[in-house]
Formats: sequence, structure tokens, C-alpha cells
Amino acid sequence: MSATPSLGTDAPRGVRPSKPPPPPFALWGGIGFVLLTIGFSWDWTYGIGFSIPDLISNFTLDPARNPIVAGVIDPVWETMTRPAVIEGFIETFQLAAIATILGGIVGLPLALLNSLTGAPNKTVYILVKNFNSFIRAIPDLIYAVFFVAAIGRGALPGVLALFFLSVAVIAKLTADIVDGIDQGPIESARASGASHVQMVKTAVIPQILPGYTSFALYTFEINLRGSAVLGFVGAGGIGTIFSNYYQRGWYDRLVVVVIGFFIVVFIVDRISIAVRKRLL
Amino acid sequence: MITFENASVTYPGGVQALKDVSVQLNDGEFVVIVGLSGAGKSTLIRAVNGLVPLTSGTCYVDTNEVRPKDKKAIRDLRAEVGMIFQTHNLVKRTTVLNNVLMGRLHRTATWRTLLGTYTKDDVELAMQALERVEIVEKAYVRASNLSGGQQQRVGIARALAQEPKVVLADEPTASLDPPTSHIVMRDLKNICRELNITMLVNLHFLDLARMYGDRIVGLRGGELVYDGPAADADEKVFEDIYGRSLTAQDMLEASDAA
Ligand SMILES: Nc1ncnc2c1ncn2[C@@H]1O[C@H](COP(=O)(O)OP(=O)(O)OP(=O)(O)O)[C@@H](O)[C@H]1O
Ligand SMILES: [Mg+2]
Repeated sequence: MSATPSLGTDAPRGVRPSKPPPPPFALWGGIGFVLLTIGFSWDWTYGIGFSIPDLISNFTLDPARNPIVAGVIDPVWETMTRPAVIEGFIETFQLAAIATILGGIVGLPLALLNSLTGAPNKTVYILVKNFNSFIRAIPDLIYAVFFVAAIGRGALPGVLALFFLSVAVIAKLTADIVDGIDQGPIESARASGASHVQMVKTAVIPQILPGYTSFALYTFEINLRGSAVLGFVGAGGIGTIFSNYYQRGWYDRLVVVVIGFFIVVFIVDRISIAVRKRLL
Repeated sequence: MITFENASVTYPGGVQALKDVSVQLNDGEFVVIVGLSGAGKSTLIRAVNGLVPLTSGTCYVDTNEVRPKDKKAIRDLRAEVGMIFQTHNLVKRTTVLNNVLMGRLHRTATWRTLLGTYTKDDVELAMQALERVEIVEKAYVRASNLSGGQQQRVGIARALAQEPKVVLADEPTASLDPPTSHIVMRDLKNICRELNITMLVNLHFLDLARMYGDRIVGLRGGELVYDGPAADADEKVFEDIYGRSLTAQDMLEASDAA
């Protein structure tokens, strides 16, 4: 039992209002959300074939009936040292690195031109802005499927897909900081008779460099993760191994590669966070 | 020589900041512009290097008309006109030297700028400019690590590195304490005298205006209401320019004591 809390003032107790009911929008929105969820997930014959009753009745942790659980319980650790797996990891790093570097090189000018500060005129600004939106609108998996279809399976379509993803991310994030930089140095560069390109190089780029570098590092992380998925559509990297083992039902090996991938991403993430902290 | 002929500026939105100003400023003159806030001082200064385009009338630097629309011509003209800002306007993340070298951009090839290099001669000029404002020992320090007064001297060095004929200064001491204000004003005065550079300086404080100016130009509501030697500008003159009696805030020393 706790005592009634007190502020120690002896003000007379006033007429306290009762808590008002939730506004109708919140109430009906909440009810509607629950109904929709149940409606969409009920045991309909059509649609995505997802149903809550099936999910519940089919769910089992019994290794004899669930091969994934069996794999997790008894992983084949030697998988980590298989040449194909090691190559897959190296290829993933290469994919991510090449895509990030090329994406960074192309993304920087696109970011600068995506701002009224960096673009030489309004026409260029509008053109580049729309171009960037277009690149950004297409998901990396679609790029991968497209390039696999156009040039065949392998690492090259993976690099291309991640390159476009990198350009989209770096251009978008960097462009946002170009608009917010200190206008003072820009004015002084102009006042000294610098050309537009000189102004951008000396007054704009030093101001956005830390942010840009940080976004490029972040993009490298995104690319690492992306390469895990792209392998499923034939675009190389560690995802190829994931896809292989998954299709063959080798869950006891798959789980080892997944753990390895998790550790790699985790380490890269830590390093990248540490570096970015020092940059900003 | 700077010549305004019937110069007027109306900003988008309709504010008329300069009204039919005609005045001629001579080579090597230290001209101080005074007037209340909003009188058009910054506008007048920025018209000289085309940062603010005239709506009507003309402005000449020597015989060159200021034409902001002609990109090539205006860049050539700006190269001869240094500018110092109230907020210093340095690139904070880079070195003092790099900031001063920005004054050499107009004479620097684009490929050099893209590679981030300058010629030996330009670096020498920048170093000499820093020596003149007595801050050369900070050449390789990041600009963000300097005090306000030191940053303003870097701003002066940047303007000097342009080898300008004219230097414009828009309230160069407004963010500085009184002793530092005097150092900055003394530097500007010396530069004006020794290098025969025309100085056009906006000032808030009347004592500074009288102490350092050769000539005082007064603006009220965008109109030129006074033009005469600084020695002749007594309290009565300033009260005429301001259209009100003077207060302690109009004096650097007095406002500091207050
Ligand atoms: N970019 C602009 N757009 C619209 N109006 C402006 C702009 N710049 C200045 N003005 C207006 O023009 C008038 C003159 O401004 P200006 O900056 O030249 O005054 P000032 O004498 O420098 O004042 P202060 O001492 O406050 O700096 C003011 O009324 C101001 O509001
Ligand atoms: Mg002003």
C-alpha cells in the first residue's frame, strides 16, 4: 500500500474534470484497424494464402516436423570454411564496395545539382531533381531482375543494381544537407568573382563533405544487406549461397551462413558508426 | 573611383531601399556610410559589386559599369572589389590560408580549383595578406578555431588577396567588442592609406565613423541626406541624418560603458 502522493500544499481540492472520451477518429480508426487486420488474415481461399488459423495450427517447434528448427539445433559449422561460402562473402564485399564508390562519385554531382544552391540554373535543377526521383522510385530488387535479364546472372548485374541504389541514397541524403548549409561563404565566394564551379568547390563542398562521407559509409552498409537478397534473383554475392541452400533445404548450413553474415554486418555497422561519429 | 548616377533599388515585394542616389567616391578615400537600420546602407554597398542589382540608374567602378546580368563582366569587376562581411563569411571547416586563397579564385584556372591547388605566387600573396593583418601564424589553423576578431582579420586578408582597387565592408565591427573593433578599423585605415584602396564602410557607431572616416555619407529612407568630410560631422549632422537626437547606443565607447 502506498500513501496518497502529496505536494505538501494545502490548496482546497477543486472540481476535477473527468477524462474525456477518445476522439471519434481515434476510436473508429482503432476499431477499423482491428477489423481490417482480422478480415485480411482470416482463412480466405483467395489472396496471398496467409491465414491466422493455418499459422497457428501449422506452427511447430518439433525438429522432426520442422526442418528449419532441426537445422538451427544442429548447424554444420564447417560450412563457414567452404571455399564457395568464403568466396560468397568476398564477392559481397566487392559488390558493396564497388557499388558504393561508383555510386558516391555519381551521387555527389547529382546531389549538388538537386539544389538551387548547387545547380547553375533552375532548368538543370528541375531536370536533375526529377531524374533523382526516378532513380529512387525503382527498388533495388527490380534493378537486379532487370540487369539479370539484360546481361545474365552473375556479379555484374548485382554491382549495377547496387550502384543505382547507392546513387539514389547518396544523392537524396546529401541533397538535403546542401539546402541547409551556411550561405555566408557562398556569398563571399561570389563577391570575390569566383565562377559557379569554383564557388561550389570552395564554399559548398567543404560544408557538405562530412555528411556526404557519412552517407557513403551508410550506403556501404545498405549495399552489404542488399547483396544478401539480390542473390535470390541471380545477381551474385552471398545471396547466391543463401538462395542455393534455401532451395535445397540445407537449413543446417544456411543457418551458419546467416549467422556469419549477421556477424559481418554487425562488425561493419559498429566500425561505420564509430567513423561517422568522428566525422560529424 | 566609384560613381552612382541616379541609382535606385526596389526589392521584390516593393520596398524602395535606394532612391535616386548620385554620388562620386574618390580613389583612396575612406568613406563611411551611416544611417538608421533599414536606411539602405547595405543595399548601397552591395550595388557596387552587383550583389544587389540597381532597378534604375547606374553605378561605375572606374569606367566599368556594374552590370550583374553579364556574368563574365560582373565576375571581372568583382575581382577588383574586395568585400568584408559582418558575419565574416569564412568557410569554417577549412584552414585560414584556404579562406584567404578564395580571394585568388578569379585568377585561378578551374582545373586547379577542382584539384584544390593554388599557384606558389597566390600562396605567397595570401601569406603577405595574413602578415598585413598580423595573423600569419594561424595560416594552417581551421577557421572555426579562431575568435571573432581573428576571423574578421582573415576576412580582411581574403579581400586584400584579391589585390582590389576598392574594398566594401558591411558593418565589419558589429559582432566585435570595442578593443577588437578598433584593431579592425585601424587595419582597414592602414590598408586604405598604404595601398591607396578606396574603402566603403557601413558603420553603426558615430564615434568610429568620425575617428576613421575621411568622408561621411548619410542615408535616410534610401535617400542621400548628407555628404561631407568626417571632420565636419558634428552631433547636429548626425541628428539630421538620423532624424532624432543621439543616444548612448550610437557610440561604441558609451554603449560599452552602459
Ligand atoms: N533581400 C531583400 N528583399 C526585400 N527587402 C529587402 C531586402 N534587403 C533589404 N530589404 C529592405 O530594404 C531596406 C534597406 O535595407 P538595407 O539592408 O540596405 O538597410 P541597412 O541600412 O543596411 O540596415 P541595417 O543597419 O539594419 O543593416 C529595408 O527596409 C529592408 O527591409
Ligand atoms: Mg545592413
